[in-house]
Amino acid sequence: MIFYLTGGLIVASTAMAITRRHMVHAVIYLLFSFFGTAILFYLLGAPLLAALWVIIYAGAIMVLFLFVVMMIRTDATEEVMFPLNQWLPAAIFGAIYMAVGAAVVLMTPGTEVALPLMAGSPREFALYVFQNHWLSIEIVSLLLLVALVGAMSLGRGKGRDRTEDEA
Amino acid sequence: MIVPFGHVLMLAGMLFLLGVFCTLTRRNLVMIILGVEVMLNAAAIAFVGAALHWQSLEGQAFVLFIMAIAATEVSVGLALIVYAYRRSGSFDPSSCNLLR
Amino acid sequence: MIPFRAEDAIHMTVILATLTPLFAFLLIMLGTRARKNLSAGLSLGAIAISFGCSLLLLARLWNVREPLEYSTRWVALNRMEIPFGFLLDPVSLLMLSIVTLICLLVQVYSLGYMAGDPGFSRYYAFMSLFAWAMTSLVLSSSLLQLFIFWELVGLSSYLLIGFWYEKFSATQAGKKAFVMTRAGDVSFLLGLILVLVHVGNPAILEMNSLDSAGLMPSGILTFAALLIFGGIVGKSAQFPLMTWLPDAMEGPTPVSALLHSATMVAAGVYLFARLFPFFALSPTAMGIFLFIGTVSMILASTMAMVARDIKQVWAYSTISQLGFMIMGLAAGGYFAGVFHLTTHAGFKALLFLCSGVFIHTWHTNDIFELGKGGARRLKIPVIALVVAAGALAGLPPFSGFFSKEAILAALALSSHPVWLAAGLLGVFLTAYYAFRVLCILLFPPSAGEEPSGPVGGLAPAPKASRQEGSSRTFIWPLIILVFLTLLLGFFQGPLQHFLLGEGKALLVDHGEQAGWLPFTALFLSLAGVGLAWVEFGRCGAARLGFVERIPFLRELFSQRWYLDHFYHFFVDRIVDRGFSKLFAQNDNRVIDGSIEAVSRGTLEAGRFLAFLQSGMIQYRLLVSFAVMVLLSLYFFYRDSGGF
Repeated sequence: MIFYLTGGLIVASTAMAITRRHMVHAVIYLLFSFFGTAILFYLLGAPLLAALWVIIYAGAIMVLFLFVVMMIRTDATEEVMFPLNQWLPAAIFGAIYMAVGAAVVLMTPGTEVALPLMAGSPREFALYVFQNHWLSIEIVSLLLLVALVGAMSLGRGKGRDRTEDEA
Repeated sequence: MIVPFGHVLMLAGMLFLLGVFCTLTRRNLVMIILGVEVMLNAAAIAFVGAALHWQSLEGQAFVLFIMAIAATEVSVGLALIVYAYRRSGSFDPSSCNLLR
Repeated sequence: MIPFRAEDAIHMTVILATLTPLFAFLLIMLGTRARKNLSAGLSLGAIAISFGCSLLLLARLWNVREPLEYSTRWVALNRMEIPFGFLLDPVSLLMLSIVTLICLLVQVYSLGYMAGDPGFSRYYAFMSLFAWAMTSLVLSSSLLQLFIFWELVGLSSYLLIGFWYEKFSATQAGKKAFVMTRAGDVSFLLGLILVLVHVGNPAILEMNSLDSAGLMPSGILTFAALLIFGGIVGKSAQFPLMTWLPDAMEGPTPVSALLHSATMVAAGVYLFARLFPFFALSPTAMGIFLFIGTVSMILASTMAMVARDIKQVWAYSTISQLGFMIMGLAAGGYFAGVFHLTTHAGFKALLFLCSGVFIHTWHTNDIFELGKGGARRLKIPVIALVVAAGALAGLPPFSGFFSKEAILAALALSSHPVWLAAGLLGVFLTAYYAFRVLCILLFPPSAGEEPSGPVGGLAPAPKASRQEGSSRTFIWPLIILVFLTLLLGFFQGPLQHFLLGEGKALLVDHGEQAGWLPFTALFLSLAGVGLAWVEFGRCGAARLGFVERIPFLRELFSQRWYLDHFYHFFVDRIVDRGFSKLFAQNDNRVIDGSIEAVSRGTLEAGRFLAFLQSGMIQYRLLVSFAVMVLLSLYFFYRDSGGF
């Protein structure tokens, strides 16, 4: 029951998010969507992930979005909303995708089975991850480092010269 | 007993579709990346549901990595967007279309 | 081929008869064009040899009972075979003699007529070409071979009609003649193909034998007969393809005498006589032929009644007499038709040649002017003209009388009296128009009278030079033809015997049935002559025919019953603007358009695809998404066995 409510919340807020012209509004709606996802994760037995989702995803990534959006002067961006030649093919293929997806789900034998109510506690989860996927963790941390360096260099080096030229 | 696994997958699918729609249809660079976020979100839901279905923590571990990747990609992507905006003056993807 | 000596001699004679004119043609065209006398001599020599050979053959094979055929297989497919060779039977031998004789006489005549013309050698070359084509046509043993020479005869007709090619009307007339006869030839070819497909062998003997009746169902037989008759309609200028012949009078008069009165247009009737047993297998077709012959005859007679150009009168008369011959043949009178063909060749050529003398002397074709110029002063041509006109009108003792009687007797045997009535009407009209011309020519109004007819007041043409009119080359052919006309009638018996053979039942018995018929016909002829005399010949006569008093009829007749108008309309509106335009539109819009559409489509597709390759990332992403969806669809179908 809660699942359906949550699911509905997620879908509705995502739908609102992608159809807003004002970017800040879109980001805020997406934020709601992520909160919903977090609740869903908790439902599905991943409480640590739910917390992490709120902290990192909703808290950091969306905030980053907000920063960038606010850096732009909104009146400078007039966007063409939903041009037909992009919207129509996307809708068509999307519909086919949904149909196929539904068919797959319905026809695969194991999907009617209701999910059990379980929860993976953070302790178990952490043990599992660091025992089996420690290498991936290290690589991910390296990746984060690379992203940090890259973002910094992209943001700083050329940007500074540009603003002097443009202004 | 929560909900059939199929429903979780359907939810994830719908969300994924919404994400694709956002990426393909909004003529705004930021929105493209937003759509990617939505897609990643959908994938995460699917993974978590699968983890519960197959009674394995593997799915949840993978969601951890998805989150990390998403963070990485957003930061670099947004930096690129700012750069592109500074060069071409607009957020429309077709304005930095040098391959006419 | 049977290796008999006698047969070889005949073979050689036949080949000599047909091919010497061809050599003359080639030699003249290639070599001797500059030397006029040599060209004329070559041509005359060739035709004289042909004539001699034809007489030899006639004498040799007078008593032959079965037709002789020399042929080799030219084309043989799995079921069909087409022979190529010569067929000698009575009607072909007779026709060969007529053709070569008249060719010879006309070529002698042309020595005088065409003297001084710059195209003298070319003229004789074409004459030889025609002689070759016509003799080969006459002796052909298979229908396909006949068709080939049929077309060749049409070609030489075209060349000779348009002989004075600087005159636009002459070239137009040549073109019209060729195209109209071509229309007939198309149907001929279709009929030929039908026969070929069904019977498998277009040899004339095969076609005529009664076995072929079993091979072709009667509907197809009638249809094939009708199609072949289409060729006859074209070549012999019957209704509705009749308007080319009056226009063909643009050619020199000897050409008209040879081609368009005695021989070429008679080729149609000759074909009819050749295939007579074949046609007789289908009574429906014979009925239709009878109808067409009658219509042509009546129509052409009416047109002749109001014509002013002397050659055109004889042209209409030719059409009319050919119709008459076809009537006779279609009614079952094989001998009657062929006999009339023979006599007609003689007196029609004579008529044309006499007219040619007048035309040459006074340089005008109009009968009123010729009369006023003093045509009656040339003695021998005048006598010849009277004899020929008498034969045409069917007065005894000229040959025309006997042949017309034969045809009328055949018509009397037919089931419906309307044909006989039409024949008798034709006799009356023929006599009328023939003597109309004669009276106008010979009895011009004297100086004090004012003719009330449509005559422009022209001064008499330059005075006749008597020497020209009576030069030997003009006179001798005329005299020979006069004798022929006088005597041929009395040869009816032997000719009938020759043509029909002893054993065959005579199809028409002259004089046994309908004893009243000869006298009625004679009465009508005399009535026609009398009417013409009353209207045109008497002193003080109003030179206005009874038809010309009715303006509507006069217009109708002189406009050739608006046939030419109809053809112009048809070709212009329907064919040119209708079909041609339709096909041109189809060519432009549909065919060109579709090719252009293909190229344009390719361009557009390229442009569209270029979009995807541009820097616009969302299009590329769209493609990726689409591919992913389609792949999912594919895998779904594959793994679940599809819906």
